[in-house]
Amino acid sequence: MEKLLNVSSSPHQREPYLSTGHAMYDVVLALMPVTLFGIWHFGFHAFMILAVSVLTAVMTEFIFDYITHRENTVKDGSAVVTGLMLGLCLSPTVPLYIPYLGSLFAILFVKCVFGGLGQNFMNPALAGRCFLLISFSTVMSDFGIDGVSSATPLAVLANGGTVNITEMFLGFTDGTIGVSCAAMLVGAVYLLIVGGITWHIPGSYLLSFVIFMGLFGGQGFDPLFLLAELCGGGLMFGALFMATDPVTSPITSRGQIYYGVVLGLLTAIFRTYGSSTESVSYAIILGNLVVPLIDRISIPKPFGVGDNAKKPKPKIPKAAVALTVITLLAGLALGGVNAMTADTIEQQAIAANAAAYAEVVPLAEEFGYDDAISANVEEFAEDVYGRGTYGNVYINDVVVGTDASGNVVGYGINVTTADGFDGNITMTVGIDTDGTILGIAFTELNETAGMGMRVDEDSFKEQFVGVQVESFTLNKSGGSTADDEIDSVSGASTTSGAVVNAVNAAIDFYANYIQ
Amino acid sequence: MPKLTFRGGVRLKGYKELSANVPIVFHQAKGELVFPLNQHVGKPAIPIVKRGEAVLAGQIIAKADGFESANIITSGSGKVKAIESRMTSAGVMAPCIVIDNDGQYNLAPGVGEPCDYTKLTNEEIVAKVQAAGVVGLGGAATPTHIKLCPEQPEEIDHLIANGAECEPYITCDDRLMQEQPGWIVSGLKVLMQMFPAADAVIAIQDDKPAAIAAMQKAIEGERKMSVMVLKTKYPQGSERNLVHAVTRRKMTSGDTPANLGCIVNNVTTLAAIYHAVCLNEPLMEKGFTVTGDAVAEPHNFLVKIGTSCSEILEAAGGLKAEPKKVLIGGPMTGMAITDLDIPIAKSYNALVCMTNDPVEDCEIKETACIRCGRCVRACPVGLVPQMMAQAATAKEYERYVKLHGLDCIGCGCCAYICPAKRPLTQMFKQTKPIVLDLQRQGKL
Repeated sequence: MEKLLNVSSSPHQREPYLSTGHAMYDVVLALMPVTLFGIWHFGFHAFMILAVSVLTAVMTEFIFDYITHRENTVKDGSAVVTGLMLGLCLSPTVPLYIPYLGSLFAILFVKCVFGGLGQNFMNPALAGRCFLLISFSTVMSDFGIDGVSSATPLAVLANGGTVNITEMFLGFTDGTIGVSCAAMLVGAVYLLIVGGITWHIPGSYLLSFVIFMGLFGGQGFDPLFLLAELCGGGLMFGALFMATDPVTSPITSRGQIYYGVVLGLLTAIFRTYGSSTESVSYAIILGNLVVPLIDRISIPKPFGVGDNAKKPKPKIPKAAVALTVITLLAGLALGGVNAMTADTIEQQAIAANAAAYAEVVPLAEEFGYDDAISANVEEFAEDVYGRGTYGNVYINDVVVGTDASGNVVGYGINVTTADGFDGNITMTVGIDTDGTILGIAFTELNETAGMGMRVDEDSFKEQFVGVQVESFTLNKSGGSTADDEIDSVSGASTTSGAVVNAVNAAIDFYANYIQ
Repeated sequence: MPKLTFRGGVRLKGYKELSANVPIVFHQAKGELVFPLNQHVGKPAIPIVKRGEAVLAGQIIAKADGFESANIITSGSGKVKAIESRMTSAGVMAPCIVIDNDGQYNLAPGVGEPCDYTKLTNEEIVAKVQAAGVVGLGGAATPTHIKLCPEQPEEIDHLIANGAECEPYITCDDRLMQEQPGWIVSGLKVLMQMFPAADAVIAIQDDKPAAIAAMQKAIEGERKMSVMVLKTKYPQGSERNLVHAVTRRKMTSGDTPANLGCIVNNVTTLAAIYHAVCLNEPLMEKGFTVTGDAVAEPHNFLVKIGTSCSEILEAAGGLKAEPKKVLIGGPMTGMAITDLDIPIAKSYNALVCMTNDPVEDCEIKETACIRCGRCVRACPVGLVPQMMAQAATAKEYERYVKLHGLDCIGCGCCAYICPAKRPLTQMFKQTKPIVLDLQRQGKL
């Protein structure tokens, strides 16, 4: 033998096929069914979005490596995976700068500057998506095709509508490019077989989500509701491909189960109490942040330890006990303070309204309640008034204004509409005894400054004053002459319309239950 | 019957077909025989022969230094040529006794005389095994007489014959079970006489159907003996995993099999016990596989201990291609050697000559860890190699201990499976002695 023999420490054998690049291309392969379905279903623009997303990801990493004189890591395929995943969770209608910016952000700021592959603490594709969601919220939440905007199944569901589960499962609905649950499952089964993912994260995620949704979702364990929630909102994509990203998920199987439960809980909370379309993204991003903690508490015992010996008493860490106690005390304290001040808060609310009542019924010296009217208010307290004729309007409170000698001079009706551009609008409407509007005043108004907020200007409010009609109509083009027409605040027809509806509801309530 | 196995581990390409069908060839060394004094776990033996002294095959040439040591027996006859430092497989020089082999193999008096073990007491059996220099021949090289003296002999309820042979390439145990099942059964019978409460179990991986059949045939009609079939998975032959597979009992790193009522011996060791007790033949020869894609004719030998690797390689037809790496033992736990002029020690079971070196290929391809968790799933003792590697690289030894890093058995599964080709096992093998050293000094 002329050459020296190689010497190294054992093992001298290596898994011959597996490599990082191989593992990444397994993921790409697993994403192919859903990708192809998306392109077929949504058309060429979807393909362009994916292409821009993937190319930007790859080029960004390549250029970063080149500029910073790092080893070129493009060929490990992780940038392709990030780009593809980001593209798949975009709406098929977004303009092409969206995937470009998202991919750039994902690769440059989430992956490369943290040290490249394996060092990022958030899933780059999801972080890119969240960046886009926050920066371009309007474009990102438009899921319509051909300019016709339509609601995603979850939005329909949230508004009490019904959806077709089969279509949702197969992906024949609006949504992101990666919309087909069936195609995703095919890919996930492949990944499970080749060992790219294990059942722990998707299993515990979906199961805990179903349980939490059943408990807190408000519709119980109705299978149709739960199936729709499972198939919609990118949950499948999140659970099967995003949450299972190895870099940003716990490494032990026990940790993975904890992680899945955290994600399931967060997603269910966000779905139930917050925004339905982005719940999965934010849940996983938040989950990513607790992974180091989960990893720390889920280090398994070595083989055999504690199995033969008597089980020692489980030690509860002191810090956990202390934290629990502090949390409980703080909770009790807050609860106590709330209970003690609840009455005060209520009085303050009446006082705040009183000012508004005084403003809209200027002749009144004193305000009081009429039992008959209050009973009617009580009757509608929980429900939308007028079965939707006036949108989502609620009659909160009606007071009777009297002058110094006790004669009724008008009524103050407190109304809330949920149809504002940015949430609720609450106002009081003053009506005198013959049905003439005395004035309106807002007690809750959070509309867009310079647009919706301008309904609080006198020029708008005075249009109602002194008019006696059965209902007002909104004139969006302005220049009204008729008494019952209200000129919209320009650029804020939603807010103006909501206000007009609320006033109409007050008039209707007056006509039917006060007069 | 369901096949027995354990959690974790890896499935390896066996490469056993190279030599699995080659019957055992008895090889009598012609060249000099070299006996390192530290062929076992424990203290090195003390030479009791002098340079120039004539010795006979089967004669003790170095005496055990206390209980935790083992006798060294010359496998051939001739003259003591030297007592000097020679290269051993660990890559270091170690004191050895060199015998100038006369090729006659004249036996020392008494060697080979049959003996009825049923008339022996337990103490006598242990003394015979101890005198014969028998050590764990599967690779561990623990002196066997230590295993035969458990603290609570009445607790022993399982005598396990380890025929898993889970390392790739090696086939000598497989062949031994096929060709000489009687030796193994007799060895087990000796132990069963010592531990009457125990059942004997011969555990064999299912990649050796012929061995399973041969052993089943050999134990026909025997009481309290059975063959158990194990799933083929590495490291099935590791003591902790084997005991678990057979008895469902779990050994911690602090346990010995005897704590859990088991005595585990390799099948070759059992054959050596049989020879030592029933035939008065001390440990002079053992099964040895010469294989690998660089070897012209892969062989299974019954080889004289002390034979040079280069001689046994010649006996297997020599090399047909330039080897890049030569291993003593299998590729998962074996040692890479620099020089073929190394004597075959008691616990060596294979010489593997490979034309390519997977490790060399991987050093070029090493990439960042993506925390895929394959190492965690592969670890047969339930550790988290990924975190242990972080602690080892950062020299955070305290954290390494907290991660149970000292439990690592060095099986190599994590390094084998790692897609990023990171040298995980190697890191742990480096870190473990450092940590133990710090602990001894009371610094950790």
